[in-house]
Amino acid sequence: MADVQIRDVHKAYGEVETIKGVSVDAPDGQFVVLVGPSGCGKSTLLRMIAGLEEIDRGTISIGGRVINQVEPKNRDIAMVFQNYALYPHMTVAVNMAFSLRLARTPKAEIARRVAEAARILGLTEYLERYPKQLSGGQRQRVAMGRAIVRNPQVYLFDEPLSNLDAKLRVQMRAELKDIHARLKTTTLYVTHDQIEAMTMANTIVVMRDGIIEQAGAPLELYDHPANTFVGSFIGSPAMNLIEGHCDGQNGAIKLDGEAVLRHGVHGVPAGPVICGIRPEHLAIVDAESDGIDVVVTTLEPTGSDTLVQARLGDQIIAAQLRERITAQPGDTIRLGSAPENTHLFDAKSERRIAASD
Amino acid sequence: MLRTKKWRFAILAILPTLAIFAWVRMFPIWETLRLSLHRWDILSRDKPFIGLENFRELFQDQLFLNALVNTTIIAFGVLFVTIPAALVIAALIYHRTRSRFAGFYETTVFIPHIVSLVPAAMAWKWIFDANLGPLNAVLEFFGIPGQAWLFDPVLSVICIIILCSWQALGYAVLIYLVGFKNLPHTLFEAAKLDGASGIQRFFFISVPLLRPITLYVSVVTLISGFNVYAQAFVLASDSQGAPGRLVRVLVLDMLENAFRNYRVGYAASEAVILLCIVLVLTLVQFGLLREKWNR
Repeated sequence: MADVQIRDVHKAYGEVETIKGVSVDAPDGQFVVLVGPSGCGKSTLLRMIAGLEEIDRGTISIGGRVINQVEPKNRDIAMVFQNYALYPHMTVAVNMAFSLRLARTPKAEIARRVAEAARILGLTEYLERYPKQLSGGQRQRVAMGRAIVRNPQVYLFDEPLSNLDAKLRVQMRAELKDIHARLKTTTLYVTHDQIEAMTMANTIVVMRDGIIEQAGAPLELYDHPANTFVGSFIGSPAMNLIEGHCDGQNGAIKLDGEAVLRHGVHGVPAGPVICGIRPEHLAIVDAESDGIDVVVTTLEPTGSDTLVQARLGDQIIAAQLRERITAQPGDTIRLGSAPENTHLFDAKSERRIAASD
Repeated sequence: MLRTKKWRFAILAILPTLAIFAWVRMFPIWETLRLSLHRWDILSRDKPFIGLENFRELFQDQLFLNALVNTTIIAFGVLFVTIPAALVIAALIYHRTRSRFAGFYETTVFIPHIVSLVPAAMAWKWIFDANLGPLNAVLEFFGIPGQAWLFDPVLSVICIIILCSWQALGYAVLIYLVGFKNLPHTLFEAAKLDGASGIQRFFFISVPLLRPITLYVSVVTLISGFNVYAQAFVLASDSQGAPGRLVRVLVLDMLENAFRNYRVGYAASEAVILLCIVLVLTLVQFGLLREKWNR
């Protein structure tokens, strides 16, 4: 096992720079998730670690060794691709043994490692099948088995669950987490699904347009997003971002001239701000309390809670309410949140003004 | 009721196509099969039924057997030259598609396929010419004695194989290139990470995955190889005296029997033999190159 250090890495395709000076640390044995919208450069970064893309500038080190010029096969990494990239003409066993055969590993050792990986992944009875004869989840496991048999220093996963249906994705997520807990191998995992990132990572790296917006533990990103992008990207449903004006004195944020929301940050200068409130932190409050009056547009009761979409001026506000409500579309309700759950962002730079607690 | 109507419409819709197919495809085959059991001299109205007499005679006809052997050698020779060469050339072109010359390479390889048979064969005839040909000139430049390429029975067959392969190569490369372009790129990346070198990726990934293409190209190449005629006729005609003695091929033998010897039934029986050979070989190829993993 080894740590991965990415230092000021750049990558451009012609005039277009896709990675603009990224630095990431993946400590030994950690599960680091690179997350971001399509085109943010997360897969490119992973491919650069794998050696499938050249590095224009900066360095990538695995276990202290700079691997910029090292052939992919000599980087001691294993990668699981989004479409699994299983060799369709080889059985599961041969797929898993392929890299070991190329490395001229003794046959007995290959058999032992394949059997062990198959046992871990529950593939023992499928070893003689071809990929086409397997379900999506089984193929996914074979792809992981192919990585496991190599016993690499680092695992790279490029959106490995995105081809699976929702139910299987949840199951595989748990299995992946379990396998990582058992093998304790440094893992870099790319996804655009923030739920995957939140549930699996030790560290989440949020990327946008080739730069890192924020890196940290999942709950740190959830509780203290560095900017509006991270705030709205991490968490589901996404954080509500409401433009307002801070009066600079009593922790009130005015919307359209009326003091309606309160924040818990001291010493915020007066001026325009963006107020971030997560849907799950909103609740229906009475008319005397601070809050925002919104017009309900849709109601989605899920049993455990009710997701409300409501209109505030031109903006749609989402609220995830724990209680079942009687309001109907078209009704006006008053929503409020505790001051400590209100995040403040600078209206210009969109960066976090201060922690709300 | 609706089902019956749908069926009636479907049959009516495909009937014209079926009729044309039957007329231009099935009827000639049927007629050839029928003729092979008769004796007919083109001119007379009599076509007496003689059963398998034509076939019995065929297998004692030294010229036919000679043509059968020559054609088989040429067809398999072309197959064994074209398939590996086309695979390698297509791989080289595909993996160098970023080169400015990729289009040039593709065109260069494909041109022989669209050049008319006879002029191409004439050009090769000049290349192989014992006295004036550049091939012997080059050989002699390196101190290797020139050969009578088109007069020696063995060398003549080799010359025809070279010419036919040169012509078949362009088409085969083109089809293989399409195959290469359709192979999933991630498989090669995965193989790269698994430690496979370029040559190992070619043999362990490309070649097996291109099996359906290889099946198609080899069937087409083998069939056209068994139908070789113009190349042999042009290339070896000087040395043939009465055409087709030295490098006699099946189609040439058929034509001679039908239109020089006026033995149409006999020629038809040769065509039937050719049909059977091609059918059997195609089935064998299907059996050999079928994808186990895709069933």
